[in-house]
Amino acid sequence: MLIVIGAVVAVVTTAIAIFIPWLPAQASVQRERIDFVFWLTTWISVAIFAIVAAVIIYCVFKFRVRPDDDSDGEPIHGHTGLEIAWTAVPAILVLVIGIASAVAVARNERIGPDPLRIDVTAVQFAWRFDYPNGVTSPTLRLPVDRTVLLRLTSNDVIHSFWVPEFGQKQDAVPGIFTSLVITPSKVGRYPLPCTELCGLGHALMRSAAIVMPNDEYESWLATAQDERTGVPPPDDEPEDEGEEEPEGDQEGQQDDPEDEGEESAEAGAALFAENGCGNCHTFAPAGAKATVGPNLGDLPDDEDYVRQSIVEPGAQLAKGYQNIMPPYSQLSDEQLDSLVQYLLRGSK
Amino acid sequence: MSTTIEQQHDLHATPAPRPRGTRARLLAPGWLRALWMTPLFLGIGLALVLGIRALAGWDPIWYWQPVLTVAFLTTAPLGFLAGIGCFDYWARYAVGTPTQPEDHSGHGAHSWRDYFRVNTDHKVIGTQYVVTTIFFLLAGGLLAMFVRAELARPGTQFFDPQAYNSLFSVHASLMIFLFIIPAFAGLANFVIPLMLGAPDMAFPRLNALSFWMLPIGGVIMLSSLIVGGFGAGWTGYAPLSTRGDPGSLFFQMGVQWAGASSIATALNFLVTIITMRAPGMTFWRMPLLVWANFTTSLLVVVATPFIAGSQFFAMFDRVLGTDFFTPDQGGYVLAYQHIFWFYSHPAVYIMMLPGFGIASEVISVMARKPIFGYRLMALSLMAILFLGFSVWAHHMFVSGMAGYLRVPMMITTLLIAVPTGIKVFSWLATLWEGKLHFTTPMLFALGFVSMFVIGGLSGIFLGALPIVIHTSDTYFVVAHIHYVLFGGSLFTIFAGIYYWFPKMTGRMYDERMGKLHFWLTFVGFNATFFPMHIIGVQGMQRRIADYAPEFANWNFFISVASFALGASTLIFLYNMITSWARGPRAEANPWRALTLEWQVSSPPPVFNFDEIPQVVGNPYEYGVPGARHAVLNGDRAAVEEEVRVH
Repeated sequence: MLIVIGAVVAVVTTAIAIFIPWLPAQASVQRERIDFVFWLTTWISVAIFAIVAAVIIYCVFKFRVRPDDDSDGEPIHGHTGLEIAWTAVPAILVLVIGIASAVAVARNERIGPDPLRIDVTAVQFAWRFDYPNGVTSPTLRLPVDRTVLLRLTSNDVIHSFWVPEFGQKQDAVPGIFTSLVITPSKVGRYPLPCTELCGLGHALMRSAAIVMPNDEYESWLATAQDERTGVPPPDDEPEDEGEEEPEGDQEGQQDDPEDEGEESAEAGAALFAENGCGNCHTFAPAGAKATVGPNLGDLPDDEDYVRQSIVEPGAQLAKGYQNIMPPYSQLSDEQLDSLVQYLLRGSK
Repeated sequence: MSTTIEQQHDLHATPAPRPRGTRARLLAPGWLRALWMTPLFLGIGLALVLGIRALAGWDPIWYWQPVLTVAFLTTAPLGFLAGIGCFDYWARYAVGTPTQPEDHSGHGAHSWRDYFRVNTDHKVIGTQYVVTTIFFLLAGGLLAMFVRAELARPGTQFFDPQAYNSLFSVHASLMIFLFIIPAFAGLANFVIPLMLGAPDMAFPRLNALSFWMLPIGGVIMLSSLIVGGFGAGWTGYAPLSTRGDPGSLFFQMGVQWAGASSIATALNFLVTIITMRAPGMTFWRMPLLVWANFTTSLLVVVATPFIAGSQFFAMFDRVLGTDFFTPDQGGYVLAYQHIFWFYSHPAVYIMMLPGFGIASEVISVMARKPIFGYRLMALSLMAILFLGFSVWAHHMFVSGMAGYLRVPMMITTLLIAVPTGIKVFSWLATLWEGKLHFTTPMLFALGFVSMFVIGGLSGIFLGALPIVIHTSDTYFVVAHIHYVLFGGSLFTIFAGIYYWFPKMTGRMYDERMGKLHFWLTFVGFNATFFPMHIIGVQGMQRRIADYAPEFANWNFFISVASFALGASTLIFLYNMITSWARGPRAEANPWRALTLEWQVSSPPPVFNFDEIPQVVGNPYEYGVPGARHAVLNGDRAAVEEEVRVH
């Protein structure tokens, strides 16, 4: 009877473990080891839960007292053998989990001979990724199958870097540098949320990790570097535009391009999305609806003011808002121009 | 010994005479005096801050940070405590006015009014604690309902980000500091002196002061909502909590009041348990609830000063301009987390061990069997106490602390599963071959054992390094803490309230409503919190007002379930209020329990025992023919017989 109940509970919990999609898709080498420890712990837990639940359910039915029974149970005070067993067996099980975990983490933190080094800087409420050749990006672009070593810090409060599909997480702490090792194993675009409460815009501090084939990554890096140094980009860059289109509510397709500033407007929309402006601001042309910062649809027609508010947000604060926006002084002059034009065009 | 107590009964167990005349009433301790002393002390605080600022020529003179900290959050509450009468005896003693050490006019309850003033009776204080904490349970629960309303759909519905961050921060702070910790302290306050065969706690006036500091902490945390709340979570991580909105000050100072209350109570328990056990009550004859509160109190006195320190540092950074956590001035941000968690991990056991004690009492009595492996049960509490101080950094596995700390802290964390497992298996073995009575307290105790197993197992996931790197700061953690603190602490608090309700009120609760409350809570709890494991592992981080659309279905389900769970609390309230007002009179010992609190009337006499009991055996000897735990009320022949036999 007891064994039957135990078996039923075990089957039910196993079904919950198997048929519910627990872990997100696996996109890094590290995640494979994390998943191994996860399932090891899960199966041990299923077994322990089945035993405990079976005993409770069995006792509830078997030892339920009759209404008129006032007698006492068997005065059993203990059983040394049993007590030793349920001290020793769990100790061994948790040590097995502990050793597996220690090994998995040690291997997950191996860097290898030639890692790609990227500096990660978190600010309220955006990410910045600095590549070795000087390229700066608001999204994390990685070549597939190459180990990357992130070096993280923060400019204000504590943030935390996480990509569920990579399984790796690390806080970005002001004043110190922390590190994280990732070896992406699958091409794709993955969410990159901030997981440490960092203030008003915490929920919307989302970026993306984009894992690309190596050649695409190299050409993106070269283009980005050319843009940065002012060399006009070669015009055969289809994958760049395709990849860069942000998803969901940040999509910049609703704006109505006019003949004159079409190119500039498109660039502005892309900058708006890339820099995560929509994480905090409402701006109808970009479909952004956030309310942490002022509504950018109500900007005054004053180019200098808009420009200053991007580079030095604390200089003139909108009424009713605090000085929490980070300065976007890393934008080049042309980028600033496009962004300011885009914003002014979209405001009434 | 016995004559002393009888004399006390004759001399002092009469209600205090009401003060006559306006002046006497204004000066007598009570709410009227608190009404003018609170503003008076507020004024003193204001004068102090503004005077110093004016004299030093600091601009502006009205600077809200020190004004708020000193006048509103420190001196005004002190004025309230002085007005209500917490310091009268000590103040008289200090200035040399004659005092009456044996004055018991403020002892015991003769009408409902006695529950609303400074009272030195541990039973009155215990009831004051339980009722106050249930108020904060309702307040914290209401905030949780608002959180779930906002999360029912993705996007922003009802609350802006500041309001949302405040909702979950105040919710957690109230539940931890104003409900779970003091609710256990309240139940223990009522029960422990009775269980020990003592007339009261060791320091009754300190006990009263401990209680009255508690609502101050709660009112401060709640009133933060007036200025927009505090939005850095109950963990209040620096530097987020040291900048920006004024609400964080309310958290930093509210914790000081609740913490001071907690420390004073713990000291009181320790001294009471060590020095005031009845003759024959050796440590190995103490009920497990007493053991549990003994270990809990050790945790509190060692650990709680650390959270006080961490909050003082954060407050100093704000108000005094110190740089404990300012990196560019040489501060170290992670120091906050080390100090904070050095308290806040043991705090998890502060919130759990008394529940273990309650479960042991209830399961043994309702299974009509001795607790299985009594000594190992007590020793495992001590093991959790020692291990509990060596695991705090498992909250910081992804924080960037020294890497070599991680594996040792992981091993100690996982090892805590061993003494915890011993307790669970021993409860199961206590059920075996028992005569199970499924009363409401027993249902909650069994619900606790089964839910706590899930919370314990998810704790192993969060102890194992690779898994916790993936799951930290996600809804998996939210699910885990609720399985531990709701399925663990709250279920045992409910078990304790139902179990001792007849003793505390002298009336019986409604058993059918109690069972309905249990089943609604049990189902609603699992429906609310189990799915959080899933969305957490899948990638939903915690403390967010808005989430990715793929989590929308689960969140809607969770919100609906949480409203049902919230509604189940109304049944509990209705049952408690109506039963207390007009439930059937309770017998002295409705559960046929052996421990001492059940050997006196319900509710107990003002000084508990007419005569100090003689303890002659173990507290859980159900089914052992002729076994007794204690001999009471002049049964001298029986005492001598028992002492001779043992």
